[in-house]
Amino acid sequence: MKKLITFIAILIASLSLIASGSNESDSTVVIWHSNSGVIGNAFETIVDEFNDTIGKEKGIEIEAIYQGAANDVLTKVKASATASLSSLPDIAQLDATAALDMMNSDYLVLPSDIGFDTSAIMPSALESLMSEKGLLAVPFNASSLLLYYNKTLFDSLALTPPETLDDFTAIAPLLGEKDNDGNITRYAFAGVPATYELGAFIGAQKRLSYFVDNENGHTGTPRKVLFGEEGTFKNFLEHWKALYDTGYVNNITSGVSTEFAAGRTATMLASSSNLSTVINTVAGRFEVGTAFVPKTDDEATGGVNIGGGALFSFSSSEAVKTVLEYLTSPAVQLEWAEKTGYMPVNTELENNPDYLAFLESNPQFKVAMEQTKASNPKVAGVWLPSAYQIYYSFQTEIRSVTENNKDIDQAVSDMVATVQKALDDYARQNLV
Amino acid sequence: MKETDRKAYLYIMPSLVLALLFSFIPLLKTFVESFLTISQQGKVLGFAGLGNYISLFHDTAFIASVKNTVIFILLFLPLNTFFTLLAATLTRRKKSLTAIPEFIFFTPLAFSLSALALIFKEMFRGKVSIINRLFGLDIAWLDESFPAMAVLVILGIFLDFAFDYILLLSAFRGTDRSIIEAAEIDGASGATLFFRIELPAIQNMLAVIIFMALKDALLISAPVMVLTEGGPFRSTETIMYYYYLEAFRSGNRATGTTIAVLMVGLSAAIMTLLSRRRRDV
Repeated sequence: MKKLITFIAILIASLSLIASGSNESDSTVVIWHSNSGVIGNAFETIVDEFNDTIGKEKGIEIEAIYQGAANDVLTKVKASATASLSSLPDIAQLDATAALDMMNSDYLVLPSDIGFDTSAIMPSALESLMSEKGLLAVPFNASSLLLYYNKTLFDSLALTPPETLDDFTAIAPLLGEKDNDGNITRYAFAGVPATYELGAFIGAQKRLSYFVDNENGHTGTPRKVLFGEEGTFKNFLEHWKALYDTGYVNNITSGVSTEFAAGRTATMLASSSNLSTVINTVAGRFEVGTAFVPKTDDEATGGVNIGGGALFSFSSSEAVKTVLEYLTSPAVQLEWAEKTGYMPVNTELENNPDYLAFLESNPQFKVAMEQTKASNPKVAGVWLPSAYQIYYSFQTEIRSVTENNKDIDQAVSDMVATVQKALDDYARQNLV
Repeated sequence: MKETDRKAYLYIMPSLVLALLFSFIPLLKTFVESFLTISQQGKVLGFAGLGNYISLFHDTAFIASVKNTVIFILLFLPLNTFFTLLAATLTRRKKSLTAIPEFIFFTPLAFSLSALALIFKEMFRGKVSIINRLFGLDIAWLDESFPAMAVLVILGIFLDFAFDYILLLSAFRGTDRSIIEAAEIDGASGATLFFRIELPAIQNMLAVIIFMALKDALLISAPVMVLTEGGPFRSTETIMYYYYLEAFRSGNRATGTTIAVLMVGLSAAIMTLLSRRRRDV
């Protein structure tokens, strides 16, 4: 008898667990996000502030759930969408690799559907999310690619950051350093460019160049590769190879910021969103400088595209709109930008004295904004299927060309074939 | 049907229902789907015939993933068997101090796969990695193809080690002492005793371990996902990781189902072949 009572008690207890799981009122807004470390702390603070103030007034609670890196969030969103719409979050923070899937999905709720007012949002951030359906999501964490450099080292050599890849090639031997045995103890650059970096290196050529047709996939699912026949990838490879041949480029694909912070590379390319993290890791061993991404050649004046992420919604409730408005408000964007290195997406901040004072004392944070303003807004992120495979294929081809002297024309045609196959596969399996 | 038979079926019914529901029906569905084109939301777009299979075999990335998996198996299988056997052999006789190495060898069992993979990732990160400092090496472990594969193999061994060790140790200790004593009386000692008597006595358990290691190696994906994400330069992308990428990341569901069907077929074929051989022994 005693056993039976225990059993029933456990049964009831476990049932109540299930019940409490699904007991979410309409005013809970679930956000799946990808912010970790310094950025994660900043995000949590912002969410807590909402729950304590506006949220309390209006009876809305944000439930922020960390779901791994941006592409993990996408994987989970896609998996839940296949299962059932009710398992989707209200809002998901996703990056450009998600755009194509979102554009072709039936469950996305557009900002215009919920009457979200975009007049105060940075125009180039809006442009980066514009599709054939209109604006896909609300910009939240806008970033751009930056050249990070060891300012202490550059100053000691009386050098300024390179403006073009040719400049870089010229100064690379000065930035590098070898020990007595001829082993390199400091490289001029570390990393192997992939889709994100090539967004600038290819996209900026001739003021505006696309990887694929339909304006990089923004006006429709891309069907044809352009960087081969337009010669933009070849042009990049030729300049990059020259830089590599100085002997001071370290072809690594992981731990680049660790190497930079350890002073083992003079420069690296990384998103402006890493700025706070990098400064924290360097911990004052040297001064961190940021500069515009070097141009592929003198004609490559298009600048960089806006990267980072945006808030995609899957629910059209009034609460979601309130949360989106809060997250893009000047106060939140100011706090967010100061703590992370993301660019504030609210244009009202441009003349905000607090923000201007912050930039004055932290000039590294200013560069991303200046670079974006100097860029052609049409230079937009590439929306591709099989983003992961293409990312690694670019790195593989670049490594083959630099390390193994693979013929550049061959590398270009192999890369075109890889991307074209990805486009064809996607079209074959996903479009009627 | 006899009463006892009915009872027996009743007992296996729950497992049978579960297997049917979660293994056989999805398997059948996947098999059918591999001949169709299907959107990632599950909409059937048309009949593909053998199209999915043909395009898969023309896919250089898939071929590369098969090659990577084969390399992994060739490295992992002998090394894993060797090290677990070595550890179990050295500690097979229970003595007053064997509890210490036993404890050390059991410990990896207490860690979860992803936690271990993350620890490995930190230990081998960059040229300034902890491992390089400890051993005075200068290897960019996770940035060069072969070293990255080596780290994956080491992680694989670490993950399987504790469990295999327990099985082998209990097999050694469970061996009938009288056989060993009889051999000792007949004058066998050292290597002869070990290779002629003790090792053959545990050969069934050893076969089980090799079986499991082969299965783990063939289907390895989670450690890859956490440790290398298939990099550098896609050199550690295994078949199952490639399957995950195609099916869940890239939205090529038909490609995913095709790989799944091939892998089920391959595993079934290997297991049947091996278990038949084993019965012959």
